Amino acid sequence: MNILSDHAFHWFLMIVTGGVAAVWFVYDLSSLYRSRTADRGDPDVRDRRFGYVVGMLIGLIGVIGVLRFHGVL
Amino acid sequence: MAVTSAVDRATGETSEPAKRVVSPWNPANAVTASRFLTLPPLFWAIDHGYRQWATLLIIICGLLDKLDGLAARIFDCRSAFGELFDALTDAACYGFALIVCAAYGWAPVLPVVLVIMLGLANVLMRFAYARRANRAVNYKSYAMERIVAYTGYLVGFATANMEVEYFYWAFVPLMAVILIHDAKRMLVDPIPVPRTA
Repeated sequence: MNILSDHAFHWFLMIVTGGVAAVWFVYDLSSLYRSRTADRGDPDVRDRRFGYVVGMLIGLIGVIGVLRFHGVL
Repeated sequence: MAVTSAVDRATGETSEPAKRVVSPWNPANAVTASRFLTLPPLFWAIDHGYRQWATLLIIICGLLDKLDGLAARIFDCRSAFGELFDALTDAACYGFALIVCAAYGWAPVLPVVLVIMLGLANVLMRFAYARRANRAVNYKSYAMERIVAYTGYLVGFATANMEVEYFYWAFVPLMAVILIHDAKRMLVDPIPVPRTA
């Protein structure tokens, strides 16, 4: 009992995962860049910057995963 | 919990801050609680091998997670309890889904066990943090927010059979690093004083 054909589902997964991962990477990269002048002695700022780096890593993992799923890597 | 100041209209002086109490029975918490409704059909879909339906249901569960924050802003009903309830709902929903996926062979068992152990450690540390603060407070971690979103995706990767081993094994070391990072702030560092407006 499927909603989409296998081919359409494959592309749906690639677009959703790849799109979210790429946007996530770029968004956290820009956030990290914007926070470069913030006071790094502030624990909240350090926590935010660590979060942005983690977000970029997750985005990268997502993009690589999509490329593997599509047989590119 | 929002705190407002009462201003004397005649003198313009600020009196003692008046606490605004937010009922736990609010629209945002209702949206959070509604996420549990996706779990029985999710179990049904996995049990019957309907991968696409299972994927759709976990997407709905994830979208409701985004919607509760929006509801809290629209209805102005943000509260410490709501944040804690949201975090516990994340743990319960994604934990349940991961266990079911592993039980049906849709997800690798070892990384799922490690993810759940790390998740439990995180929940325990949050309780310890709330106990140290002596109030219902959710520890704000930007990295953990991101890894929780990734956890939702983990379930989706299992139900959709999408590079399952790769995504699960990439997740485990990342979550371990975040937990070590957050442990110091939750268990050792001084607790920030709540902001008053």
